[in-house]
Amino acid sequence: MTENTTNLTVRTDRRLVRAIHHSTRYALVEITAPPANAAPVRPRVNVAFVLDRSGSMGGRNKFDLARDALREGIERLAATDRFAVVVYDTEIDVVAPGRTADATAKEAAIRRLRDVGPRGGTNLSGGWLRGAEQVSSALDPEAVNRVLLLTDGLANAGITDRTELERHAGELRARGVSTSTFGVGEDFDERLLGAMADAGGGAFRFIANAAEIPALIRSEVGELLEVTAKDVELRISGPDGLRVEPLAAYRFERSARGGVLHVGDLVADQVVRLVLAIGFPLGEPGRDVGVEFAIRDRAGSLDGSATLAWAFADGIANDHQSRDRDVDRVVARTYADRALRDAVDLNRRGEWDAARTNLAAVARKIHRYAGHDEVLRGIVAELEREAEAWSVARMEIDRKQMYSRSAYALKSRMPDGAAQRRP
Amino acid sequence: MPDYSLSELSALTGLPVRTIRYYVAEGLIPSPGKEGPSTRYPDTTLARLRLILRLRDAHQPLAAIRARLESLGDDEVIALAGTDTEQPRPGSALDYVRSLLAGETPAASEERAPPPSYVEPDADILAAPSYPLPSEIEPPASMPPPRPGAALGERSHWDRVVITPDIELHVRRPLSRPANRMVDRLVAFARQLKEEE
Repeated sequence: MTENTTNLTVRTDRRLVRAIHHSTRYALVEITAPPANAAPVRPRVNVAFVLDRSGSMGGRNKFDLARDALREGIERLAATDRFAVVVYDTEIDVVAPGRTADATAKEAAIRRLRDVGPRGGTNLSGGWLRGAEQVSSALDPEAVNRVLLLTDGLANAGITDRTELERHAGELRARGVSTSTFGVGEDFDERLLGAMADAGGGAFRFIANAAEIPALIRSEVGELLEVTAKDVELRISGPDGLRVEPLAAYRFERSARGGVLHVGDLVADQVVRLVLAIGFPLGEPGRDVGVEFAIRDRAGSLDGSATLAWAFADGIANDHQSRDRDVDRVVARTYADRALRDAVDLNRRGEWDAARTNLAAVARKIHRYAGHDEVLRGIVAELEREAEAWSVARMEIDRKQMYSRSAYALKSRMPDGAAQRRP
Repeated sequence: MPDYSLSELSALTGLPVRTIRYYVAEGLIPSPGKEGPSTRYPDTTLARLRLILRLRDAHQPLAAIRARLESLGDDEVIALAGTDTEQPRPGSALDYVRSLLAGETPAASEERAPPPSYVEPDADILAAPSYPLPSEIEPPASMPPPRPGAALGERSHWDRVVITPDIELHVRRPLSRPANRMVDRLVAFARQLKEEE
């Protein structure tokens, strides 16, 4: 069953739920952002570029490449935008305080950036917060207010605790400032940068080789300039006792009969597919249970709702109902990506058995409902291969590749981390 | 502003259609005028029904609920029905950042939900979901007391299976598979008896 409005589609794997036992069903929600020409003027951008200048950034030309990419990014801003540039090592320098992106400001910032070179340790939190301060001091509810943080190392000065930084990123997001992060090479902490971007409502991008720095910054600045839906929220509501659990990496505020999923900013034609696990209360056989899905954004370019109805039925009817295989495939892929992301962490900690067992367990669960479906069987086979592959020590670069691949997939992003768009 | 059919209202609140009609007849929610298959009810009717449910759960008699509803405007009903409106956020982004830069710990605006746990794609075959159910957090007052000897904090809860409006089966979950099958058979048998009546 599919419910449609222009920008929102909702489907489920199974239409029947058990009357006298608690069922879990999956809703596959697809959100499509409006095209660029739908909005006459793009939202203004209020951005801080935060650049790691610690000693290690001197290797492989990383700092020079990042600086060039930053210059290019600044040049693309319009005179209605605002920007700031912050560089940090142990010390934090506001190279260009937040101001309107007119020609004079751009030239001055680029000139001052030329004199900056790599040195010292990594006060990641200090640099990031200075950037957030520049954005916050001219916070514009109509604009895309964002900090772009690029680093190649571990936070070793200032606030270094991952959970704490993640929490601050979430708090700032709730106050209107989002954070995107770029990790270069193999020495940064992808769990920190991934968590900051997830909580911060921005994107995390992995840059394996220094040579990719310009392309990835270009892509991110491009997306910043193409936002057509701001602070997108998906609101889910149904009867009392309904329990919603998102499987994707977005912030979720639970309420008594559903909750609100914060999808963040979407760029022109961006497509986001996300899976929600829905736990149902008990009910009388034959009666329907409806769940309403509504999207909206701050710019008012997205506004729609869809109601999906399930029917309570006895055990036999439940056991023999048909399945929507497309939904099954996305659900299985999502569980696989979550397990792969977790395997990276277990592998790094040397918990080989746990890495193998977890992946194998998810493979077994998918196998149970895969039947003859080739896509599902393919996922099972992939997980069985990966279960072996992650039960021996892996190179750090492999871990980063796998983490970013699964993190991108869990945010409906392309294998290079760019937004997925409507063809 | 969305509007709803009678069956949509029923599905969204869990209230049977006949109960909603009864509330209309009793004047708890405004009459839509002539009722037919195409009749639409406004957003505020959904909010009213949810408020009724909330008051009913607090064991308020119908007369008291009616009096309460009569005294409220639509906006107040929506506010009290607990639509998922945003929480006010303490402090601006700038205040928050500046207090962090000054080395202070700013007040968090809300409790964060725990990270999602693994839920099995076919979890309904196994009786117990992997998260606490609402009834586990707030058991209705009519619940029987926990069975003697039940360990404190044991992850279990009571479910009410309605056979007729006056007869319910109470099931303590999680249950083993054989016990679940027994519940299935008991309920099937009870419903068969009901049909024979």
